[in-house]
Amino acid sequence: MKIGHGPATVIGWRFARAESQETYPNWSKLTLFAREGVAICLALFARLFYWREFTRARRQLLCVIYFLACCGTMQAAAAASQQTPAYKRAMKFVTDETGRRVAIPFSVQHIVTLAPDLTETVYALGLEDKLAGDTSFCDTPPAAKLKSHVGSPQTPNLEAIVALHPDLVLATTSINRPETVDALLRLGIAVYTSDPHTVRGMLQSIARMADLMGASEQGTALVTQLQARLDSVHARIAELPLVHVLFVVWEDPLITIGQSTFIADALRWAGAESVIVANQNWPQVSMEEIVRLQPDYILFTENHSESNDDQELSRLRTRPAWKALKAIQTGHIVKVDDEITKPSPGLVGAVEQIARELHTEAFQTSREIIPQLEERTGMEIVAAKSAETEWMFCAL
Amino acid sequence: MRPLTPRRILFTCAGLCGVLFVVGVISLRMGAYPISIRDIVTTLFNAASGRREDIPVEFWQVVFGLRLPRIALGILVGASLSTAGAGFQALLRNPLADPYVLGVSSGAALGAIISLILAPHTVGAIQIAAFIGAASTIAAVYFLGRRGGQLDSPTLLLAGIVAASFLSAIIMFLLTMVTGSELRSIAFWLMGDLTAPPPVTNVLGWLGFLFFVFLVAAGAMYTTSSDLNLILTGEQEARHLGVNVNRVKFVVYIAASVLTGLAVSVSGAIGYVGLLVPHVMRMLFGTDYRMLIPTAAIGGAIAIVVADTLARTLVAPTELPVGAMTALAGAPVFIYLMRRRMR
Repeated sequence: MKIGHGPATVIGWRFARAESQETYPNWSKLTLFAREGVAICLALFARLFYWREFTRARRQLLCVIYFLACCGTMQAAAAASQQTPAYKRAMKFVTDETGRRVAIPFSVQHIVTLAPDLTETVYALGLEDKLAGDTSFCDTPPAAKLKSHVGSPQTPNLEAIVALHPDLVLATTSINRPETVDALLRLGIAVYTSDPHTVRGMLQSIARMADLMGASEQGTALVTQLQARLDSVHARIAELPLVHVLFVVWEDPLITIGQSTFIADALRWAGAESVIVANQNWPQVSMEEIVRLQPDYILFTENHSESNDDQELSRLRTRPAWKALKAIQTGHIVKVDDEITKPSPGLVGAVEQIARELHTEAFQTSREIIPQLEERTGMEIVAAKSAETEWMFCAL
Repeated sequence: MRPLTPRRILFTCAGLCGVLFVVGVISLRMGAYPISIRDIVTTLFNAASGRREDIPVEFWQVVFGLRLPRIALGILVGASLSTAGAGFQALLRNPLADPYVLGVSSGAALGAIISLILAPHTVGAIQIAAFIGAASTIAAVYFLGRRGGQLDSPTLLLAGIVAASFLSAIIMFLLTMVTGSELRSIAFWLMGDLTAPPPVTNVLGWLGFLFFVFLVAAGAMYTTSSDLNLILTGEQEARHLGVNVNRVKFVVYIAASVLTGLAVSVSGAIGYVGLLVPHVMRMLFGTDYRMLIPTAAIGGAIAIVVADTLARTLVAPTELPVGAMTALAGAPVFIYLMRRRMR
């Protein structure tokens, strides 16, 4: 369509043809791009030639530059018609926990995990032979340190991931960035993103990931076992009142947990409740508020400091605001296993530990619950008493 | 001093383009996935002649999916930032001016944060919202920075700084409302990040579009280059010599702001390039804006490509923020050139 003369003519033509540009390999797009380029160049030339004091030499120079620029743009548009190839393999389509629809091969042989909790899950499922790579943060179990690393969970090296030929990359919203997942999907690499906010959600997530990795039986067994351990804790403390605790994520400034984190949910399983009610995941709170709320117990994670409980207590007793807390005065501080910070199978162990520390009286007779456990799981439970009078359960 | 001829500008730019090409090829070679120069040449040749099936899938993913788009984005961002920096230094007649001095990056960051609060997990929302934020800041600062109906450099500078600190305060307030995973995206975005995938699937079309916007804005600024030389000697003097100062200022202001908004919205706030590269180019090739604008553009591209290559290879497989690398590598070079000139 030709209306008038000059740049507007060309732009009008572009809109008239805009519907027919979906073809592959997309030569129509190339011509469209060229026309757009010519239009803008013409407009610019009009601007340049009417500019005062513009010498002839500079006009020629700009002509050359803009001609080269147009060529470059057309080249780019031509190359743009090529798309990244998809794997020609048997795929199943699943919707992951963030709502992304991803194609995952039926047979998964090489797995790359992008977070420590996912690495732990893969090991707990007994799939360590399929684990091709993990992040430099993955240290549980210790064997995970020997796998090839793809960088940190937040800035993994995408090339290093490609080099490991993964069939499936596991990511999680709790530490990975959505940009990383999107970039991997663009490259045609299957990524499953888990998004657990509760302990139950973590169990469901483990079952789904096990299913995708072709280990649904191990997944079901693991989830059943973990659920049984949680139920046994719950059976003991269900009647007891909730203990009000302060979970210290960071001491200075004081950062604690919000209501919707999986840590808060794990604490509820262990018969405890955070004194801070916040919608944010990691709220920063003032010490005054803590003194006002007076938590019964203060929970620290193990990596918080190297010192043991007594040293920690005497250190906190010297700090102005902390020594005003009854929990510090009476020595009610608990060092929780680091597993509490990861939504992985080890979280259940941390729940058991917290429950035992906070509700000591409910855990004095372990032998009673074994028949219940066996009945629920349909498995034979062997209880053994270790040297430190700790009860250990082994599912046979 | 030799007279500045178009031939000299062309030859200097061609030389710098050669350096950029060499740096680009080296950058294409470096990375966690080992590829030899020969493989890269074969891959590029096969791609150019349309034989896609001859290229191993991983080569395709690494070269065309990861390294080339990143290098191209680095070139665009670097060229935009340092052209904008050169423009702002002339417009404000202040050697400390950089692309972010008028609050464009704060506006873009505010837009990005609002998009993360309102529509998280939407691909491309950050870029679009950042550009809207940058554009509204540009407009607001422009109207605040006028005195007596025309752009006044000191007023403009003050308006920009006030806008930047006001927007930063809003950002700090909003950051307390953002939860964990969004906070992580925004933290990387604020540091400057070339790894974020583009908002459309057609990567090269997207790059072509950005390149075009760059050419239009930089070209518009280039038309004012001889007037900028006169304005740098003083606005009154330029006016007496027949320069339409208001018009030049308007063109430079809009062009430099569009360039900054473009760079910030695709890569976040990468610091130092826009400040250092124009100064380095002035020391190397003189202060004439007819020479400075094209050399600053190519020099900025070289600087970002080098910094990004270092950022992703120095402690591989972990990647460093590219903004840290530009400062780390840029400051010593700048100090060396400054001392040499003083002698």
